[in-house]
Amino acid sequence: MKAVKKFFKTFFLWELLLGLKLTGRYFFVRKITLQYPEEKTPTSPRFRGLHALRRYPNGEERCIACKLCEAVCPALAITIEAEPREDGSRRTTLYEIDLFKCIYCGFCEESCPVDSIVETGLADYHFEKRGENIMTKQKLLAIGDRYEPEIAAARREDKEYR
Amino acid sequence: MDKFNIEIDGKTIEADPGSMLIEAADNNGIHIPRFCYHKKLSVAANCRMCLVEVEKAPKPLPACATPVTAGMIVRTRSKKALEAQRAVMEFLLINHPLDCPICDQGGECELQDVAMGYGKDLSRYTEGKRTVKDKNIGPLISTEMTRCIQCTRCVRFGEEVAGFREMGGMNRGEHLEIGTYLDHNLQSEVSGNIIDLCPVGALTSKPFRFKARAWELQQRPSIAPHDALGSNINVHLRRGEVMRVVPRDNESINETWLSDRDRFAYTGLNSDDRLMQPMIKRKGVWETVDWSLALEQAAIGLKEIINLEGADELAALASTQSTLEELYLLQKIMRCLGSPHVDHRVRQIDFSCQDAMPLFPGLYQSIEQIEHADQILILGSNIHHDMPLLALRIRKAQVHGAKVHAINPLPFTYHFDVQHDCVCDPQDMIILLMGIAAALNISLGVEASISDTAKAIATDLQSGKRVTILLGVLVEHHPQSSLIRHLAKLIADQCLGQVGLLTEGPNAAGAWLAGMVPHRQAAGKKANKMGQDAAQLCETPKKGYVLFNLEPLDIGQTNVMQTLKAAKFVIALTSFKQADLLDVADVILPIAPFTETVGTFVNLTGLWQSFTAVSKPFGEVRPGWKVLRVLGNLLELPGFDYEDAFAIRDELKAQVDAFTPDAPAPLPAITKPSAQEGLVRVGHWPIYRGDPLVRRAQPLQDSGLNGSVAAFVHPALAVRLKLTVGQHVIVQQSHAHIQLPLQVDERLPMNVVYIPAGYSETAILADYAAVILGAAT
Amino acid sequence: MQDNKSNLLEHEVRAEIDRWVAKYPPEHKQSAVLSALHLAQDQNGGWISQDLLDAVADYLDMPRIAVYEVATFYTMFDLKPVGKHKIGLCTNISCQLQGSDKIADHLKTCLGVDFGCTTNDGQFTLREVECLGACRNGPVMHLDKTYHENLTPEKIDEILAAVEDQA
Repeated sequence: MKAVKKFFKTFFLWELLLGLKLTGRYFFVRKITLQYPEEKTPTSPRFRGLHALRRYPNGEERCIACKLCEAVCPALAITIEAEPREDGSRRTTLYEIDLFKCIYCGFCEESCPVDSIVETGLADYHFEKRGENIMTKQKLLAIGDRYEPEIAAARREDKEYR
Repeated sequence: MDKFNIEIDGKTIEADPGSMLIEAADNNGIHIPRFCYHKKLSVAANCRMCLVEVEKAPKPLPACATPVTAGMIVRTRSKKALEAQRAVMEFLLINHPLDCPICDQGGECELQDVAMGYGKDLSRYTEGKRTVKDKNIGPLISTEMTRCIQCTRCVRFGEEVAGFREMGGMNRGEHLEIGTYLDHNLQSEVSGNIIDLCPVGALTSKPFRFKARAWELQQRPSIAPHDALGSNINVHLRRGEVMRVVPRDNESINETWLSDRDRFAYTGLNSDDRLMQPMIKRKGVWETVDWSLALEQAAIGLKEIINLEGADELAALASTQSTLEELYLLQKIMRCLGSPHVDHRVRQIDFSCQDAMPLFPGLYQSIEQIEHADQILILGSNIHHDMPLLALRIRKAQVHGAKVHAINPLPFTYHFDVQHDCVCDPQDMIILLMGIAAALNISLGVEASISDTAKAIATDLQSGKRVTILLGVLVEHHPQSSLIRHLAKLIADQCLGQVGLLTEGPNAAGAWLAGMVPHRQAAGKKANKMGQDAAQLCETPKKGYVLFNLEPLDIGQTNVMQTLKAAKFVIALTSFKQADLLDVADVILPIAPFTETVGTFVNLTGLWQSFTAVSKPFGEVRPGWKVLRVLGNLLELPGFDYEDAFAIRDELKAQVDAFTPDAPAPLPAITKPSAQEGLVRVGHWPIYRGDPLVRRAQPLQDSGLNGSVAAFVHPALAVRLKLTVGQHVIVQQSHAHIQLPLQVDERLPMNVVYIPAGYSETAILADYAAVILGAAT
Repeated sequence: MQDNKSNLLEHEVRAEIDRWVAKYPPEHKQSAVLSALHLAQDQNGGWISQDLLDAVADYLDMPRIAVYEVATFYTMFDLKPVGKHKIGLCTNISCQLQGSDKIADHLKTCLGVDFGCTTNDGQFTLREVECLGACRNGPVMHLDKTYHENLTPEKIDEILAAVEDQA
């Protein structure tokens, strides 16, 4: 009996039909594939992507060179140098994050007393030359300036839990 | 009284009667939180943080102000104690700003630490916090007085330790502000200690401001290279760069304090003048070269002098800032080459007592013993500026009842009571000392008149049980230094006291031991061939010179520049570029300053303190001992195969231990001094001008303690010479004349003109030499 | 070295300070500092200048900062120029219950200045003070060194008129 069943199944390409049935079902089902990079999946406001340094609305940089992020960074990816600025305030003269070392744990963001260093939702970025992995203060501030609305919105969304 | 037992936290411990609870607890490793209490200061009990529960006491008591009694039962962590401590913490935090992220004290803050233990997460205080306007108290200390918790440690330090109150508490109650009332630079030479004392971030180091965090710093022990005390320090580094210097506790030397000079001189380390590479002069033009070429040139130059002019035409001068190892190798090279002309006493004029010197100059008693002296006679020293921390010891002695007398050719300010402060011209100093000796019935062999002051000082000294006579640098530089030493010795012997020599630089004792003197080899052995002393070496030009750690500015002899310019070949081993040096030298070899080299300093009690490099040498710089070792090898001299610096030290140590020096020769006979004729210039290296490193420490230069570069005279003398204050005058000496502004000081003797040394403007003038003042046209 | 400024104190003032100094053991010369400051203040027309603070310190051999501490601690020393007459009205609870608020308003209108200010003609400095210790007869105020008790607006007018008459 078994042999007969097998014969017919083989003869009528039963498995192929089974497979085509699945194909057929998915042929008509609603599509979930996104056209990356034109389309993107939604991300959590807590997503930890590329870093940015934020400014206050009056344009003053937030960072006060407390170096807590440098201290907390488990990968030792952050390097900071500080000295008094002309107006006497405490400011960084060098703020660098080595993205090759960074493990995107988000500790820097958590330790920051003034919400200066943040991890944005940006996940897609690349380097073309050696050395570009070092995010300088200028680059970080530029990212912050560019994505401030998104960064602020993400913080707002998550503020209840922070 | 005997010790008795008390119980703290269930632990029975022994306590001294009269001690406070907190001391007993500290001695037994029981920690009680505190802010205002400090072991070296009086008890103020105004922060109330150390409240503890004492059985049978109705309320918690402050541990710092509660004397122990037998059978006392104390609980430092009971509910009642903890509640009291928490409440105090809450009060303290009411007005303390929450600015730890930008506070330099963050990470090493006592308030922060205690708040972690006792503080609440949230404050119940919703009213506005108090703010206090910042004070400007000079280039060394930055203030953030809003953070002040009014523990008054800084105020008490000024009053009790420094003896010079500059900080105080203004207003009262909630408006109490600690400050100087009028903004001015702190004038104390030990002001930096209030940075360490401040338990919060109200007083922090200005040169260190915002540069680094406590947790980034690595701590390495070292020895301070500015005075003969050899204060113990910890150097704090960040990524190999010296960030600051703090004291390292050593009860027998610096206690817990540090002078500003030792604390802030590090700011000169990274000055623009730092030499990075060896340099040689070719046809009058300086070129930076590599070590092999520079050393080769140095060796060739030295050999040429020896071959063409003879070894006798070669001389070496070194500063006492050099380490024992460097000095030993330098004199070894010179003596191996056949030249006995080595000296470190570059500011001394009178060498007639050099054979009478003991193995090394020093205090011949421990530093702590100074505290217990009951009669102290200071001769020729601006003690607060020359040895700030020794002055604190003298102050302690004075506070305990000792009488201090001072005889100086210049007027100095003291932060302790001075019984007799005699300011007289250099010759009168001797006459006064002879008077004291005569009043003590010492037969001098010459006639001496006994003035009233001499009599009074003599009576005081005679009444003393522990008499100490300290001879400072102004005596060392005095043209009759040996005579003064002899008189001091006679007086001390008569009073069963001790004479101490306060030498310059951190390693004068080491220089004597290393044989960096023309008449003695290492370990005090008599030199086979007598060399010429520093004065002769500068007076009669030699053909070749080696300058070690010395800038011409540091040399107090006449005609230094002419002599060096006339020399055929000059090698300078130094850390900094300097115009005069570039002018005279032919080869400059960059050597490491104290932070970058291994070495030993022998302090004024004869203590050998070795230290290691705390950071890597700057650029192509090499430690001095290595440079000298290689130079020795290049010159094909035997015995220069040391593997490390400690091998050199051990070699010398073995020699010192094995050799018993002959008894020092008797001091030269006492002769009657001639009266001072005309005006005499007396110089003194101001507190922050004494060595190349400190001269480059900008914050110290800005502090104003150096005084101005001017010719200071008595107002009556100015009137007699028809000169007015601020006017430029021509200062004329036999070989030189310069122009300086005129200043008056009514405490100066009539015939003394004080012109500070250590400035390029005044470097040409001879010390203790006749001078003529005239109006500049 | 700072200049000794003790000569800035008038001769009689110094004699008076000496009288106070004599009351204390010789090693506690600084005990006379309060009296000395009062005398210096009177000498200078109601306030103590910086130089006079230094003068008192130098005269009593005290660190200058110690004198600044004392002078800033007590409210009865004025370190800035003030009016010829100082009026201090108590506004503590007892006087308040007796109507010191009304007196305060009246004083302010009469003099045309608020608490802590000096009139334009430099005659009066008006101050709010804490309890003057005469609560039984509140409201109380002091005019220079005289207490005036049981104050009413009419009484205030009289007192002010009397002062102006004197001038």
